[in-house]
Amino acid sequence: MAAVPRQNGYVSLVLVSHSSEIAKGLADLVAQVAGPHVSIVAAGGASDGTIGTDGARVLDAMRTGAAGPGAVVLVDLGSSVLSVRAALGELSPEERKRIVVADAPLVEGAVAAGVAASTGCSCEEAARAAEEARSVAKL
Amino acid sequence: MSQSSDTVTERQARLPETVALHARPAGMFVRAAAGFGAEVFVSANGRRANAKSILDVLALGAVGGTELTIAASGDDAVEAAEHLALLVAELA
Repeated sequence: MAAVPRQNGYVSLVLVSHSSEIAKGLADLVAQVAGPHVSIVAAGGASDGTIGTDGARVLDAMRTGAAGPGAVVLVDLGSSVLSVRAALGELSPEERKRIVVADAPLVEGAVAAGVAASTGCSCEEAARAAEEARSVAKL
Repeated sequence: MSQSSDTVTERQARLPETVALHARPAGMFVRAAAGFGAEVFVSANGRRANAKSILDVLALGAVGGTELTIAASGDDAVEAAEHLALLVAELA
């Protein structure tokens, strides 16, 4: 079912937000639900710590994710998407194969992808779990 | 060979008084459910959730002491329902 063969280890998550606090806080929340095996990289805020996105940090986080069995990238708004797109352009074709960007709400998507990743699924499956978050009613 | 997929195995389980089906316990429950091939649903408070979907399970809002119904169908339905019912009762 998985397009990419499973390797040893778990796929990781990269959280890209305009706010370092959002990215870090969400990483803490996901770690609690998903357990200790899923690595979560928070890439939030501009390079000077203000609100914004830091292309170099996003690229580093995605490289780190691509070094393992794969990573799902979740984004908040607007220029986070642009930073992720720019970073994808910097990755090698091999690295790019192990990165999936999920079109999903950030909080719900990260929780869903994190728990899916903790079952040992592929990054495509974890991204699909994140994208299903779009249709899950909250109330 | 295998039981018919429309046979549903149901088990009841009660959450310990001090454990809500949130955060870490919910993650453990969903991870365990995902390990079975069976289709599994968990019901509480008049709501029904796909046991393999963390967002669905969190939306149940099952607090400590809640009685859950676990309903499984498919090849390993009996094992799934029994395993998950035990897991719920032993969550800490």
